[in-house]
Amino acid sequence: MNLLDIRNLSIELVHDDQNILAVDKVSLSMKEGEVRGLVGESGSGKSLLAQAIVGVLDDKWHVHADRFHWRGIDLLRLSIEERKALLSRDIAMIFQEPMACLDPTTTIGEQLAEAIDANSLTGFFWQKQQQRHSASIKLLHKVGIKSHSACLNSYPHQLTEALCQRVMIAIALARRPILLIADEPTAAMENSNQVQIFRLLASLNQLKNMSILLISHDLENITHWTNTITVMYSGQFVEAGTTNQIFNKPLHPYTRALVDSSPSANFHLPAKSRLMTLPGSIPILQHLPIGCRLGPRCPRAQQACVIAPSVTNFHGHKVSCHFPLMPIKAPCVSKRNC
Amino acid sequence: MTTLLKVKQLSKSYQQRGLWLKKESFTVLAPTSFSVEAHKTLAIIGEAGSGKSTLAKILVGAEPASSGQIYLNGQLLQAGSYKQRCQHIRMIFQDSGTTLNPSLTILQLLDEPLKLNTPFDEKKRKALIRTTLQKVGLLGDHMNFYPHMFSGGQKQRISLARAIILQPQVIILDEALAALDPSLRSQMINLLLDLQQQMGLAYILISHNLGIIRHFSDDLMVLSQGKVVESGKTLEVMNNPQHKVTQKLLMNQNFQLKLRKK
Repeated sequence: MNLLDIRNLSIELVHDDQNILAVDKVSLSMKEGEVRGLVGESGSGKSLLAQAIVGVLDDKWHVHADRFHWRGIDLLRLSIEERKALLSRDIAMIFQEPMACLDPTTTIGEQLAEAIDANSLTGFFWQKQQQRHSASIKLLHKVGIKSHSACLNSYPHQLTEALCQRVMIAIALARRPILLIADEPTAAMENSNQVQIFRLLASLNQLKNMSILLISHDLENITHWTNTITVMYSGQFVEAGTTNQIFNKPLHPYTRALVDSSPSANFHLPAKSRLMTLPGSIPILQHLPIGCRLGPRCPRAQQACVIAPSVTNFHGHKVSCHFPLMPIKAPCVSKRNC
Repeated sequence: MTTLLKVKQLSKSYQQRGLWLKKESFTVLAPTSFSVEAHKTLAIIGEAGSGKSTLAKILVGAEPASSGQIYLNGQLLQAGSYKQRCQHIRMIFQDSGTTLNPSLTILQLLDEPLKLNTPFDEKKRKALIRTTLQKVGLLGDHMNFYPHMFSGGQKQRISLARAIILQPQVIILDEALAALDPSLRSQMINLLLDLQQQMGLAYILISHNLGIIRHFSDDLMVLSQGKVVESGKTLEVMNNPQHKVTQKLLMNQNFQLKLRKK
């Protein structure tokens, strides 16, 4: 059974004269214990999608979905309170921009203690207080902060961005979530710290069977750590498949361009040669092209691309393109024909 | 090839008031020497606090050096001579959006360095701005726009236009490619490489992304705690790292991208 199953989720920004479709019919499914990467450039709606899953978008965003299941429970049928109770127990999220997301007026210690599950504490209130304290120290150690007392007593502005990011991760891990949504967890960090954080997430995935939705704008950064990858462009679904499929046999021209444009993925290229790239820039929300939004930049675009393509499934490798890079054979019905 | 920029024993240390009126000095950059040739790119890598940004700031003249000399074309750059320096050494910053003044049009932004450094009249300045904008892949008519009307990648192009408008010889890129999206980043790399060929620019590239460094640079310098621990041709250093710090940096990067092509 799928952990998370979302079908055709759309997010609309309600505006005075016209509504803007920021995310257009994106499907996402996650299995238990899976690390899925969600890749897209800025403005691709990947953070919006994550926020819609957790349910923290405000009123001006309208979210519709054909199906929204969490471990077999239809979330669309629950009331808002029930849904919140369920999701806040099972899902945790690491937000982008840790400095902006932590409360600037309280110390890290208080914010961390607040996140710890009250049900896990026993005894009288002074004992609970102590348990909270030791639990928050343990969490800090887990995310690699050694000087816990200095960290607990300081305010967010006194710490560096990378330390704040680690505190955010500690807060997210406090309730032992089943699904962790990590929205650019290593954006503010250096390479060596990035690897540490990814290793931590990978070990949690393996030891605690925690599923992770890893959101990043850079394909090459996360390929080592993911099982499956979903690619988005400008609010539309592009391609989904295993990391190997996406990286070595991309079907969509956009994914192909992403892989080809990364110099670290193309070791055979001579130094200082021209990199393969898509012309133009990412469309802004006010001026989205109709149909396939990659259309104006796509090297394979034809007339049919003014209509948004439907998703084709090819042995679990899903692609949304009229003219994919490899001819897709129709999936055979019986094994004898193959 | 002629040596364009030569740095001799450049160092930077800060004075800190210590105990008992004694001044303690705190070294950010130990004496460093290197040289850059025209048409070449020198890449600098290192951990946070290794002094790479300080080095960039000293070269561009934003901070005075404690000791050492910088020679440009064999000529000594004096500490206060910004006129000479800012014509020939220009810098592009990481976050292009915040380095452009939001209340000025692109024309005014690009006009400023020309007014201060060249004797051209208004007509000639405008023509130069038009050709420079076309050179970085924008339209000449974009000069009447304000910075907020551009996307992130276009803003980075405008900073590049501002850097090359004075026909400089050295451009310092301080993490200038880090904040861009991958497809725009490869566009920008192509553009920078084209300009290097056309204008004979020398780049000093400060970056975390070793893939870009391998593709883009000729020489590599590894800094750690203010000291140069390793330097040489990029490919040689990357294929055969000698120092522990370099090995660690390279290993971290390999983790990011295990090549699945077998």
